Amino acid sequence: MARIHLENVDLEFHVGAERQDTLNSVLAHGFGLRRRRREPRTVKALQSISVSIRAGERVGLIGHNGAGKSTLLKVMAGIYPPHRGHVAVEGHVCPLFEFVTGFEMEATGWENIRTRALLLGMMPKEIERKIESIAKFSNLGDFLDIPVRHYSSGMYVRLAFATSTAVDPQILLLDEVMAAGDVEFIECARERMNDLMERASLVVFATHSLDVLPRFCERTILLRQGRIVADGPTAEVVRLYTEGRPVREPTLADATRGV
Amino acid sequence: MSEQLRRTAGDVVHSVRLWHIWTRLGLLDLRMRFRRSAVGPGWVFLNLSVLVVAIGFIYANLLGQDAHYFIPYLTAGMILWSYLTNSIVEGGNAFVNCEGYIKQISLPIYIYILRSFVSVGLTAGITVFAFVIVGLFYRLPVSGGTLLALPGLLVVMTASLLLITIFAHLNTRFRDIAHMATVLLQVLFYATPVIFPAEALLRRRPDLSFVITLNPMFHLIEVVRHPLLTGAPPPIQSYIAAGLILLVLGVCAAGVIAVFQRRIVFAL
Repeated sequence: MARIHLENVDLEFHVGAERQDTLNSVLAHGFGLRRRRREPRTVKALQSISVSIRAGERVGLIGHNGAGKSTLLKVMAGIYPPHRGHVAVEGHVCPLFEFVTGFEMEATGWENIRTRALLLGMMPKEIERKIESIAKFSNLGDFLDIPVRHYSSGMYVRLAFATSTAVDPQILLLDEVMAAGDVEFIECARERMNDLMERASLVVFATHSLDVLPRFCERTILLRQGRIVADGPTAEVVRLYTEGRPVREPTLADATRGV
Repeated sequence: MSEQLRRTAGDVVHSVRLWHIWTRLGLLDLRMRFRRSAVGPGWVFLNLSVLVVAIGFIYANLLGQDAHYFIPYLTAGMILWSYLTNSIVEGGNAFVNCEGYIKQISLPIYIYILRSFVSVGLTAGITVFAFVIVGLFYRLPVSGGTLLALPGLLVVMTASLLLITIFAHLNTRFRDIAHMATVLLQVLFYATPVIFPAEALLRRRPDLSFVITLNPMFHLIEVVRHPLLTGAPPPIQSYIAAGLILLVLGVCAAGVIAVFQRRIVFAL
């Protein structure tokens, strides 16, 4: 049975020295350089996150940019190990996070389909069975024969999306994936995504599209500055989010101070 | 802590089991590297052959060496030397090159080390043909003793895997490591009996024997090269040294895995 269980999970990012200049310039914009005595070293990306998701649930994840949605998904996927707390995930995880990285630039479209499918947990036989339909859905035609180095960004998305959505996941972790591609593709993509979400037994879906959220998810979690501030029926949580929108976006200083 | 370590150990085992993934990725590496070249993987072979011919001609005369002995010695040495140094330099990028995968796919990261192990090994494998040609040309004696190169090869391959593990971790955290290693290896190359036979130095300057006996690369090369050329087992000191080297590398590899564990993703 698919299941995700997180208990008191903390996750920090250590901001390297080489980024200080950039950080300084960002901070200088915010509220003047002089007030900062020490450089920020640690960004608290997630703080005491406890959440339990059972098979059959489809959960939305909302919050501002930098609230910790993607980070939380990556903890659930087992990509980020938490600094404190406990993570238990049962079931085959299929993460669909971004469709613009993770390509072998010198390899052809076909080779990239095979590679990505392998990495997402498909067996070689399954891949050969599905590869025609993946290619067809990607609608890339002859472009599949050339190295993906020559692709446009929209073509990357098509390729990655077509491949990634061909898996049969138990646990599906989605991170705002309708970002690129032309109108026609987005229409097809939406259909395929619906289909994928139907097939998965557990879905967590991070998004900014509040209008589509109620259609997919009966339960939604609201994150703010790395903490869960609400977890309940989608309609209620979305209302809380839209009404309680803070005047200013959280700053890096907030994150490092750990408020 | 111990739970983390247990998970890490589980990751390592899981990675090995995913051989159908990392073998394919390693093969793909090889195909991609030469995609746009006419000669393809032949370049690895040509590169070595040109070096062997050039160095062989000059040094055989310079050092007064018999080409029948020196050219095969040089070829075997170059192959093993490049294999080990590639493990360090290219292995250092095993994680860095796979950043796109590591950050979005939940597979144990050690498959990327094994991928590098495969691609570095295959590249070295191509150059073995050069040795076969050289061996046939100079009619190298082949006997049962030649097979003693096989345990030596196993030692070298293990060393390659451990070196990749160590440098993949270190270079991800400290990106200067691979560059630094390149520089140091260049120096070490001239001190290692590859382009000159060990005996040539020992005969002239016995007091400098430590340059050779304390050189780990020499022993790793010798356990394969010596039986290949002579059909006799290498000196027992080389086996002992090779064993010690593997032990040290093994401890270091286990060490970096235990220290970095799954946190390597944060360093990418």
